[in-house]
Amino acid sequence: MNLQSSPEIIGATLASGMYIKRSWSSKARVAFRAIFKVRGALWGSIWVAVMISFAIFAPWLSPADPNVQDLDHLFASPSFQHPMGTDYLGRDLLSRMIYGCRIAMMVAFGAATLATIFGVILGVTAGYSEGGKIDYALILIFDVVRAFPQIILAIAIIAVLGPSILNLILALAFTGFPFYGRLTRAQAMVVKESDYVKAAVSMGLKHHKIILQHIIPNILIPVIVCLGMDLPWYIIYEAGLSFLGLGVRPPTASWGIMLRDGYTYIDTSPWMILWPALAIASAMLAFSFFSQGIKAALDPKKRER
Amino acid sequence: MFKYIVKRLLWMLPTLLGVMLLLFSLTYFLPGDPVSILLGPRATPDLVVLIKERLRLNDPIHVRLGYYLLGVLKGDLGTSVWSGYQVRSLIAKELPHTIVLTFTSLGVAALFSIFIGVFAAMRQENRKGFTVTIVSLLSVAAPDFVWALLLVLFFCIKLPLFPALGAGVKGDLIDMAVHLILPATALAIPWFGYLSRLTQESMNEVLGSDYIRTARAFAIPKRIIAYRYALKNGIIPTITVLGMGVGKLLGGAVFVEIIFNRPGMGKLIVDAVYQRDLPVVQGAILVTALMFVLANLLADISYAFLDPRIQYD
Amino acid sequence: MMSHAMIEINELTLDYEFGGRLMRALDQVSFKLERGEVLGVAGESGCGKSTLGLSIIRLLPKIAKIKGGGILFKGRDLLKLSEEQMNREIRGKEISMIFQNPQSALNPVFKVETQMTDVLLYQSRYQNEGRRKTRNEIKKEAIAKLKETGIADPAERISNYPFEFSGGMKQRVMIAMALSSKTSLLIADEPTTALDVTIEAQILELIRDMHAKYKTSILYISHDLGVLSEISKRIMVMYAGRIFEMGQTEVVLQEPRHPYSAALLESLPGTHTKRDRLLSLPDFVPSLDRLPSGCSFHTRCRFSKEICHQKVPPLLEVSTGHWSACFLEHQDKGKHKWKWF
Repeated sequence: MNLQSSPEIIGATLASGMYIKRSWSSKARVAFRAIFKVRGALWGSIWVAVMISFAIFAPWLSPADPNVQDLDHLFASPSFQHPMGTDYLGRDLLSRMIYGCRIAMMVAFGAATLATIFGVILGVTAGYSEGGKIDYALILIFDVVRAFPQIILAIAIIAVLGPSILNLILALAFTGFPFYGRLTRAQAMVVKESDYVKAAVSMGLKHHKIILQHIIPNILIPVIVCLGMDLPWYIIYEAGLSFLGLGVRPPTASWGIMLRDGYTYIDTSPWMILWPALAIASAMLAFSFFSQGIKAALDPKKRER
Repeated sequence: MFKYIVKRLLWMLPTLLGVMLLLFSLTYFLPGDPVSILLGPRATPDLVVLIKERLRLNDPIHVRLGYYLLGVLKGDLGTSVWSGYQVRSLIAKELPHTIVLTFTSLGVAALFSIFIGVFAAMRQENRKGFTVTIVSLLSVAAPDFVWALLLVLFFCIKLPLFPALGAGVKGDLIDMAVHLILPATALAIPWFGYLSRLTQESMNEVLGSDYIRTARAFAIPKRIIAYRYALKNGIIPTITVLGMGVGKLLGGAVFVEIIFNRPGMGKLIVDAVYQRDLPVVQGAILVTALMFVLANLLADISYAFLDPRIQYD
Repeated sequence: MMSHAMIEINELTLDYEFGGRLMRALDQVSFKLERGEVLGVAGESGCGKSTLGLSIIRLLPKIAKIKGGGILFKGRDLLKLSEEQMNREIRGKEISMIFQNPQSALNPVFKVETQMTDVLLYQSRYQNEGRRKTRNEIKKEAIAKLKETGIADPAERISNYPFEFSGGMKQRVMIAMALSSKTSLLIADEPTTALDVTIEAQILELIRDMHAKYKTSILYISHDLGVLSEISKRIMVMYAGRIFEMGQTEVVLQEPRHPYSAALLESLPGTHTKRDRLLSLPDFVPSLDRLPSGCSFHTRCRFSKEICHQKVPPLLEVSTGHWSACFLEHQDKGKHKWKWF
């Protein structure tokens, strides 16, 4: 370890280490408290939790098998037996909704996680090596992928790979990573100018260690907030692609497929299309409020007295 | 100003090159034998060989890439495998519809949001004000194609007010406009909330600024302050976002065109994907990407135009 | 014909209401500003001097509520005028205001030409000056004004954007916009605070010249006693929304008749013989929603007595033209020297 540094810089480094460590748990606590303060954030979080539980516990929570056809009760309106009605093949809509929730969550979290990991790694690298060849190359990659509307590129990728859940996740992750790439790049460029990073550099800390220990912890919060806002879009893209027949394949129940079926029979039964539409809407609102809560909580400008 | 435009245009070139490379690699890595899939039962061995020759599928990758790039530069986007038409003529036929739809939605979104945003700001509502909250909730609630479906459900089926299908009788502007209303609105709704909140916040900030205080101290009429002094500063973020939103609008146009059975790029791309018509998919997506990049460029330029400080950065 | 004072403020009381809190920004403020005089308003940040200026021209934010009192301008109560009347007759015409931060006082996305000509255009329109002036005529007027306030090459520079001007020049532009032969009162809210000392001197000189030329009455607000001593003939010292002392500038600054004014003066470094430490008052300026009972200064005043806790000291004339709001001063009338050290 190079000791070209004065006591002030050593102190700054130690202090910064303490700063980061302390801020983790205190930030989490603040976030937790804020969820109850910010309007709507509580409901948003609850609903998000509900959806995730549906996704995980689908087989136990669903009243019936989503694929079982009850040919005596086609296009049924909601009843005790079928709380959400049935579709054109007599399948219970509630069960299909629950399993659809599972698909939605799988695709959303799967693709979003991949996109985030990939995007953060590339973005931080780009931001850290600001102005260098690596930076330019990475920006170019981001811009090339961003030159396509996300859905359209996903359609193209699915066209090549074939429709399946996995391909869906991959395609969406690929179209989504530049968002996180650019976000973290901008942040990395700012963070690397901060005093404690400079202190770390002057003490001879290696690049990858700096990135891991100093830069990444400080960019994570905005990334998480953006992730919260971005997640519902993955649900929407899944629904959209499945609607086009380019996502999940029937007879698997997904909200997109249900929308498609509902659209085909829109003049026969409004229920088939109403439930998945409401589900998607509620998912969007829930994630939106949830992430607003986190954002307000961690916004340093909004200190309560 | 000029230098700024040139700078941006220069950066566009490698980006577009990358775009073409990306598209090309997609088709290159297509699994399965495209020719047999294409010809189906008509596939005799001789025919297969012939087609492969014509599509240059036997050549090494750099040769194929070279032909592809050259072709694009010449404006030749290939021939539809399905219909035999030139891809570019297919696109030329469908593109105007999509552009009309996209711009109409942009216009609807902009007008509505700016009006709501300025309205809320002039009433000195804060961020959680009534007007904007209601609008936001409605608009955030669902994506464009879900709104499209809901609009069809309520305004075409339940209350037969609007036509659900098609673009209207060609040449009859009123009819076409009527057919545009629902799809454009569906595309625009998801933007209302964010844009009007953005406009309102930006206007609030501007209205509280020192230079507006100066204008009021010199008795500039309130209306002039709102729509001239404040607006020019206040809509900058809105315009930027709108520009960036063209991509999402283009993407959403795909669905809206399908749901409303309108002609356009959306239908073109999706049908081509179903039919495994690769040249059409490639060409149409390339054109879409090009439009998207151009839209961003225009947004950046108009941003620089509105805020002259930006060019000197 | 009654000769009115230019401005007469009577018992003006104003609260800021937000977040459920009530901040008393002005408490029964009363004073007169005579025609053609320069009255300085001194005090620390938050004492209400800016609020006072904004009240006169009625540019207060929505949360400001006037709870009592009147503002008489040439005999008319400004608080009774409608917004339309204020715009038509008062703002930018009879009463002009210039602000503290020239950097942000001009709209960054419009050329100076646009902003100035708009102001002049609406001025003439409101006043129905015979026929409508053309934009070109107005532009010439604007250029002439810029020249008057010392901008070099005004014909060229008027087409520039604000960010192409320096701070001092922007303030000159503001003064050019604010002053015309029709302006009776200029409210200057810390116009030089954000400027370098040398530029500050230039702007002060410009204001003095304008004052001599147009005989405008000026209400000069500043926390800088040095500036006020140069430009104002009379001065008033404010604290937490109340006037503590008012009188001829020379007299007040040399022989203050209020412990607070004395403290202000003593705390200026270098104004007296060498000392080890700078004077600083204990505690902080009280928050305007939790003012102490009685005299708002008593918690920090080393001379305070029982009566200072109990009753609010009124502003009384303790000698000709010299007013003070301190019970002890009322009693001793000038015998107390108010030395803090």
